[in-house]
Amino acid sequence: MRLSIHYFVFRNTTIERFFQNISATFSGYEDISVVNEQAERYVWFYLSPVAENTLIAGKIRYYADLARMAVEKTPPDRMFIAFTMMDIYSVQSTVSDRTVVSAICEYNAALYALEAVHANVKVIDITRFLNNYKTEDLIDWRYYFISQMGLNPRLSGAFGEWFESRIRAIEMKRKKCLVLDLDNTLWGGVLGEDGISGVALGGDYSGKAFLLFQQQILELSREGVILAVCSKNNIEDVRKMWSEHPDTVLREEHFAALRINWHSKADNIREMAEELNIGLDSFVFLDDNPSERELVKRFLPAVAVPDFPAQAYMLPVFFKQTVEQYFSIYALTGEDKTKTEQYKANAQRANAQRSFTDMDEYLRWLEMELTIADVSEFTLARAAQMTQKTNQFNLTTRRYDDAGLRSKLASGSRIFTLSVCDKFGDSGITGLCIVDLAEETALIDSLLLSCRILGKHIEDAFFNYILNQLKKQDIQTVKALYVPTAKNMQVKDFYDRQGFQKITGDDDCTVYTMDRSLHDFEVKPYFKILEI
Amino acid sequence: MNKLKDRIIAVLQKVFELEQIDENASQQTIEKWDSLAHLNLIVALEEEFDISFEPEEIAEMISVQMIINFIDNHLK
Repeated sequence: MRLSIHYFVFRNTTIERFFQNISATFSGYEDISVVNEQAERYVWFYLSPVAENTLIAGKIRYYADLARMAVEKTPPDRMFIAFTMMDIYSVQSTVSDRTVVSAICEYNAALYALEAVHANVKVIDITRFLNNYKTEDLIDWRYYFISQMGLNPRLSGAFGEWFESRIRAIEMKRKKCLVLDLDNTLWGGVLGEDGISGVALGGDYSGKAFLLFQQQILELSREGVILAVCSKNNIEDVRKMWSEHPDTVLREEHFAALRINWHSKADNIREMAEELNIGLDSFVFLDDNPSERELVKRFLPAVAVPDFPAQAYMLPVFFKQTVEQYFSIYALTGEDKTKTEQYKANAQRANAQRSFTDMDEYLRWLEMELTIADVSEFTLARAAQMTQKTNQFNLTTRRYDDAGLRSKLASGSRIFTLSVCDKFGDSGITGLCIVDLAEETALIDSLLLSCRILGKHIEDAFFNYILNQLKKQDIQTVKALYVPTAKNMQVKDFYDRQGFQKITGDDDCTVYTMDRSLHDFEVKPYFKILEI
Repeated sequence: MNKLKDRIIAVLQKVFELEQIDENASQQTIEKWDSLAHLNLIVALEEEFDISFEPEEIAEMISVQMIINFIDNHLK
């Protein structure tokens, strides 16, 4: 977790211990009168109160009012993370008594209603964490009475990890590609030895477990995770399996890349990273064979390699853990849902490229249409996601969430989005430029393009169009920055190539400037630019 | 006995993030030993020795010597 982000936690019990892994300050108990205005994010963490039953319900309703007021009091451009409430301790002498249960339901409904109205409010369901424990383990009454700890202090370590994974989901940081072995991973048995009719997939146990696993993986790919295969097998056998086995769910068309051969899996994954243009740290590798996992861990330490279960009946638990750890995301964007298609179209483009001798000829043939627009309510989430996920073509690598972009807009910045459509399909929003404006000077705060659209001079067309727009706005001087990272070497000279002058530069940042009164830029004729 | 003392001091060093802790140290001499840190210390000691203190004991365990005495009693 980035230590630089400071949180302010609204709370009603002693819970400092649960937020030890982040930088945080805390409200008084049940106190919303003092709000730390310096905090970058706010957390609402109220636990169900311990009191006699008649008081609990009233108190919980009061907490819902406090939550509403707290949201009003905090700046609307900062993230406000609200945890739902769960009944941790209440005594039910009358079985039909629903007083406390309904008060908690109403409280949670009130939080979801706040989320619906306020874009900065994100609700996290605390039962996803607390349900891992027995009710009697949720409170250690010694610590409750000594210091008003509303949760057992022993849960704090696990809570910290879980909270970090939720934050990553809200920040939209997830792995991009799931690489799958085949034998004993997607089905039981060894295809080369047992044959199509001999492997376990569908039918009774263990085939039933592998079938569910395949169905779950397919669903994950529909939510934007790219699938790939890396298996030591004969490709003919596997293709036959995919086309003839009656119960196979995952087929060739679901995979963006295949490496079915006898090469080292580390080499195969490295190749796929290049082919798909995805960093190795965005890969998760699943393989039942511990020595293959060890090899990948050793040679490609950036790749995540979870321990695969030895028994097929453990696959549902393993799948849940893997998704929650690596692939969870707070909400899906339109681009996520068609990602495998886009990456496959890219691979087709790469193949088409080979038959042209002249690059310009190929680019004309693609019939590219660039749609450039100011960011809107509908595209803001995707824009924020791009700043989080784009590493290679990214001049400053500044990360923003929704709230961060909103405050940019509020201070007068322009945010341009780019989407690209060509013969093979629509890339969706894959380019972004944030321009800070101050009178006659513009500063390029961020400029980034998804790797999927690189190699076609789209970056030049997009950036030249923006420079022309700034000139129309009477901007005299454009300043730009290059901040080097481990991953963005390829754009080191980008601004030099665009005709900017270097003003200052050290290892941390290079500053460029350009006099914008000079001339308009020409956009290459093979681009059709659509303005919105 | 010395081994026990070393284990206890190691827990204190970890909780208070200090490199040196004297066996005569107490809540009076360690600035970071506030009420929240005290609870973190007790939880860490309970985990290290797999024991459970009574609230009355927790209130009194405010010096290295007292901690050694109480834990020694529990382990007997």
